[in-house]
Amino acid sequence: MTMEQMIPTVIFAAMAILLIGLSLIVVTAKSVFRSAIALTAALGIVAGIFALLGADFVAASQLLIYVGGIMIIMLFVIMLSQRSTALTERQTNEQWLWGALFALAVTCALIVQFRAVYRGVFATSVPTPTSVAIGRLLLGDMIVPFEAISLVLLAALVGAVYFGLDYEEKL
Amino acid sequence: MLELGPIISNAFQALQTWVIALGVPVLGAWILAKSIQVGIIVLLVSLVPMVLVYAERKVSAFMQARLGPMEVGPFGILQTLADGIKLIFKEDIIPIGADRMVHIMAPMVACAPVFVCFAPIPFGKGLVPIDLDISVLFIFAVSGVTTIGVLMAGWGSGNKFAMLGGLRGAAQLVSYEIPRVLSVVPVLMFYGTQSLHGIAMAQHGLWHGFLPKWFIFYPVVGQIAFLIFLIASVAETNRTPFDIPEAESELVAGFHTEFSGLKFALFFLAEYAYVFLSSAMAVALFLGGDDGFYANGFLPSWLWFIGKTFAIVFLFLWFRWTFPRLRVDRLMQFCWKFLLPWSIANIALAGLMVLLLHK
Amino acid sequence: MTLSLHHFLMLSAILFGIGIYGVLSRRNILGILMSIELMFNAANINLIAFNHFLYPDQVWGHGFVIFVMTLAAAEAVVGLSLVLAIYRNIKSVYTEKLNILHG
Repeated sequence: MTMEQMIPTVIFAAMAILLIGLSLIVVTAKSVFRSAIALTAALGIVAGIFALLGADFVAASQLLIYVGGIMIIMLFVIMLSQRSTALTERQTNEQWLWGALFALAVTCALIVQFRAVYRGVFATSVPTPTSVAIGRLLLGDMIVPFEAISLVLLAALVGAVYFGLDYEEKL
Repeated sequence: MLELGPIISNAFQALQTWVIALGVPVLGAWILAKSIQVGIIVLLVSLVPMVLVYAERKVSAFMQARLGPMEVGPFGILQTLADGIKLIFKEDIIPIGADRMVHIMAPMVACAPVFVCFAPIPFGKGLVPIDLDISVLFIFAVSGVTTIGVLMAGWGSGNKFAMLGGLRGAAQLVSYEIPRVLSVVPVLMFYGTQSLHGIAMAQHGLWHGFLPKWFIFYPVVGQIAFLIFLIASVAETNRTPFDIPEAESELVAGFHTEFSGLKFALFFLAEYAYVFLSSAMAVALFLGGDDGFYANGFLPSWLWFIGKTFAIVFLFLWFRWTFPRLRVDRLMQFCWKFLLPWSIANIALAGLMVLLLHK
Repeated sequence: MTLSLHHFLMLSAILFGIGIYGVLSRRNILGILMSIELMFNAANINLIAFNHFLYPDQVWGHGFVIFVMTLAAAEAVVGLSLVLAIYRNIKSVYTEKLNILHG
């Protein structure tokens, strides 16, 4: 097998192992700050997987939006809502066994289906830069969702500000 | 003249041919060449902050009618080296109540992205390490990872004041990222590409034979965009007048109170490297990159780029001793109520101009 | 072994399953929100993988992913401000303390 075929496979294998390990840390860590840091690293690796799949614009957007936006506000809320007894409390509730069994069932069903249908589908083209095409698509065929999502964001902004107001300031 | 670009690319071509002749596959030779280029960039980005620290101390001293470092080496040139050696030998203290792993990882997370951000910068003709199609978005995305390092530093100190300093610093970084990104959008609208090399190349030449085609000379749009980018970059790099998170008289020393020795040095390396990065971006986006100022063949292109970048760095250093520090709530008001509306108005104005120009 | 579509789909299925386990078994509200973000990312990997392997000349998958990311951001923002409001009220972020409306 040539080097051109082996390098993406090795990179994908390394990223997949890291990603699965980090996600397991996210759902099982005792300190919620550590799971947030593990989630940040996991989202960075997902951006790497997007870049491996030739999605350059989406990879940069993933880093910008998720790591540079969502995880920062999540870390803010974690830092503002901590109590000193937090590290000694249990992080999983009583139904964890049923949750694990359900998750395992869903995962196995999905994996079996994917292997059956999509085994042996290989990439047929070299990745090309996508920014221009995404721009044309967003303002061309996807203009309605584009306008709708600006309303969604406005509603989210107003809602977040309203929930964050103190009791005396509420209208 | 002494154009480094062709010399370096010929050297790497010769290296690749020699390695291929020794039996290494073609892709292996390419990886070797790229790894050496990565090493050169990492070395450059590590050495530039040393020069900038010395420059800052000298410039501050001359603006305050004193001489600055003069003891170590001729005119104090080796002062930063002495400071670096001193910081390496300092004891590494980790507070007991701090989360140990977070405390160790915070300087690395804050400092590592800046090395990656230097990859798409066009240092001169043929001196772009890698010409990405999404350079601008890439640099903004990767420099957002530093904010996570600041938050980790605040949490990992085990100190409530440091945590508040980390929260304030992260809030400032996240807020000023928005006018910074929005002020670059008019540049992208005019030149139609996100590649810094492409934008710098499109600004070569002269209008009517006397005005350089730089973006800063475009009527109204260029000046507003450049000013907003400059002000937001000063805030992003935590320099006065926006240095509440790290000023000595505020919250002890902010988020890096509990970091000593090499970790402290890493935070400062990150800050000065970001100053150089922001200046390099401002030059590539607004000041024509490596375009000569009416005298294109007089000096090599990389010397023009370095000269213009250091001129903007001098602006950064000048601001520190000219303006008083902004209080933290006025800092936030300045961003959200002044810079952000003006940058959005700038985008609308740029859209109008693009429409009229292309009619 | 060349990379094929089902490798990426299996990875996203495993990530989705880990997200489901996190949502169902964490006591901390912020832990539940983080597991939901994991599930969003698994779906995004799926979309980009299908786009790259089956329809390489179009970018509908990329456009869809941008909308998913934006909606995830909006949902995280509203959810987190709710968490802050809850913390201000009952001084705790654990789900079993939120039982005042319980019958």
